[in-house]
Amino acid sequence: MKLEELKQKMDQARYIYDDTLAAVLAIALQLGRPLLIEGAAGVGKTEIAKVMASALDRELVRLQCYEGLDESKALYEWNYQKQLLSIQVNMGSEDKDVLTKSLFSDEYLLERPLLKSIRSEKPVVLLVDEIDKADEEFEAFLLELLSEMQVTIPEAGTVRAKSIPFVVLTSNRARPLSEALRRRCAYLYIEYPDMEKELAILRAKLPHVDDRLCAQVAMAVQKLRANESILKKPSIAETLDWAAALDALGVRELTPDALRRTAGFVLKNNEDIAAMEEETACGCGCGDCKGHHHG
Amino acid sequence: MVEPQVYLEKLSAFSRMLRLEGLTISPQETADASRILVELGFEDRELVKTALRTVYAKSRQEQMTFDRVFDGFFISEERMRQQAKKQMEREAEMEQMRQAADQELERLPMELTQDQRNAYAAMPEKERQRLRDFMDKYRGNAQRNPNLYGNFIHSVFARAILEQQMLMEDAGIGCDGLDPEMGFMYRDISEFKETEIPKAISMIRSVAQQINGELSARRRNAGRTGLLDFRRTIRKGLETGGSFYKLHYKKKRKRRKHLVLLCDVSGSMMQFSEFALRFIQSLNQVSESSRTFLFSEKLFEADAFSLQNMDLFRGYVKESGVYGRGTDLGTALQTLCAMQPAALNTATTLLILSDTKTIDQPRAVAALLEAKRLAGKVIWLNPIPENKWKYIRSVQTMAALCPMVSCNTLSALAAACRRLTAT
Repeated sequence: MKLEELKQKMDQARYIYDDTLAAVLAIALQLGRPLLIEGAAGVGKTEIAKVMASALDRELVRLQCYEGLDESKALYEWNYQKQLLSIQVNMGSEDKDVLTKSLFSDEYLLERPLLKSIRSEKPVVLLVDEIDKADEEFEAFLLELLSEMQVTIPEAGTVRAKSIPFVVLTSNRARPLSEALRRRCAYLYIEYPDMEKELAILRAKLPHVDDRLCAQVAMAVQKLRANESILKKPSIAETLDWAAALDALGVRELTPDALRRTAGFVLKNNEDIAAMEEETACGCGCGDCKGHHHG
Repeated sequence: MVEPQVYLEKLSAFSRMLRLEGLTISPQETADASRILVELGFEDRELVKTALRTVYAKSRQEQMTFDRVFDGFFISEERMRQQAKKQMEREAEMEQMRQAADQELERLPMELTQDQRNAYAAMPEKERQRLRDFMDKYRGNAQRNPNLYGNFIHSVFARAILEQQMLMEDAGIGCDGLDPEMGFMYRDISEFKETEIPKAISMIRSVAQQINGELSARRRNAGRTGLLDFRRTIRKGLETGGSFYKLHYKKKRKRRKHLVLLCDVSGSMMQFSEFALRFIQSLNQVSESSRTFLFSEKLFEADAFSLQNMDLFRGYVKESGVYGRGTDLGTALQTLCAMQPAALNTATTLLILSDTKTIDQPRAVAALLEAKRLAGKVIWLNPIPENKWKYIRSVQTMAALCPMVSCNTLSALAAACRRLTAT
């Protein structure tokens, strides 16, 4: 897919992007490479996969990684209970070989996200979310899938992809990923959006919210992120929640009082809220209004 | 329109340059990049840069290296002119500074090498003024007794210039310009300002979290043998009429090491010890048990509760009475070795956080040898940058006795903690 075509489709999906992001996505698509996205929590890594699914008109298959994730949860599992039942039902049957063979057929195969994504007739977008939370051995296991687009099931042989999925891997950098995995992917690092982009996102996602309030929210969030004493920086989703909460409360201007009432939507721990109140005289995060209201 | 063949030749050279800069570039990546380059052409330089960065760079650090190499390699004509102009201006400015410095130095009754003259020229005006004032103050004496005062003035100048050269050698200078976060990791801990400490602490927390993540992944892998536990599987199978409804696997018992931390909290070491302790305390899986001892002239054990809240650490150390005093490593190690019940045994790793500067060095060396005999392993974390070790005799002595790791930056401290967890 050409860059301009992709940009058009992302515009249709009402996704706010910059030229770098669009170029990286177009190139990963063109090369057929998995895309590894890194960045702080809440910068919109997962959203990219969702938008790509929508822009490419493909199904999104999601694999959420966690400690202890293995092939049986990610790729496939034999329906062990059903196999046991089948053995007991067919205990008296003559042809044992046929029975044994039938036990490892599609009927007893439980398809998990990875297998589903490569056995799908139509190409899908496969999101492997938070790969850094999975074990290193799972990473090694992913290599075959990512480079050869095939997986090996010992009892059934090698399954080749019927269609090539667009694979998006995300990582919060909780641990460094292996060099082998990185080498197989195109790489993108996302930072928090700047003021302009954040405002554009607010306008696109919450068109009913007053423009002035959106601008104040975007500015306050930028200041909060720049504040070093705030440990958990507000994510884009939290910015949206905050603006929506202010709008729902009928707030038209971000006053210190409005901020105090709604701070829980943007800052998620007590120390951060205290730090914010300490840091600014007005508590709105702007740091330069010295106690008076501003617009 | 340039022929694709020209691009590909350039690309091949570019890949070689990236390899020289430490990036791992496989032929597959060069093939991908050439496909992209043939497709895009070279009309839009920024687009080409983004495209090649996507293919070649696989981490944030690599992205920065890539940008630097790309900007140097695929340089635009306008940029080339700008760079040449800047370089000429810089050289002219440097020449002027050198001439001014030469004029100043002409008045001196001593000989300086060209390197020393260059270092003098690069010194901040304030420092140069300080030296000139010093020279003026002793000018009369030097004229009366050239041998005695001439040598004295020369030694002061040479020392100030050496310090300036060492400052210029320091790692991390200029990193901030590239990426503030990464620059912070590579800056000397002793150069942190008071206002930067919260940021440093938050970075320590995030890096420690990363190391914990790596560690727990490694432990999980080591713990799982994959072998079937027949006994448990058969026993559990009895509950379901002999069918092995659920299979059970063997797990290994986790074994962690015992850690003894010996932290120098004399005036100059306080900042470093605080950071290092934060790091080690944040690594919740590094050891099965740990004991922390603080020392300056005397040794005392920090109770685990006070170390839970590192924000109170500074106040706690000040109250203990060891803060701001001289360093006596020998006494500290002797007390530690003589403790009953024994603090050190073959299962313990002794971690010394100190800059090696101590009174009575021979006694410290003897005590270190004794500690080495008692403990399973001794590792020294030194906040002095490795390039300065050659100037300091005490560092050389201690480094010869036990493994010493330079930890002058947060990045080096993180690497040392990784090494500690790996052993």
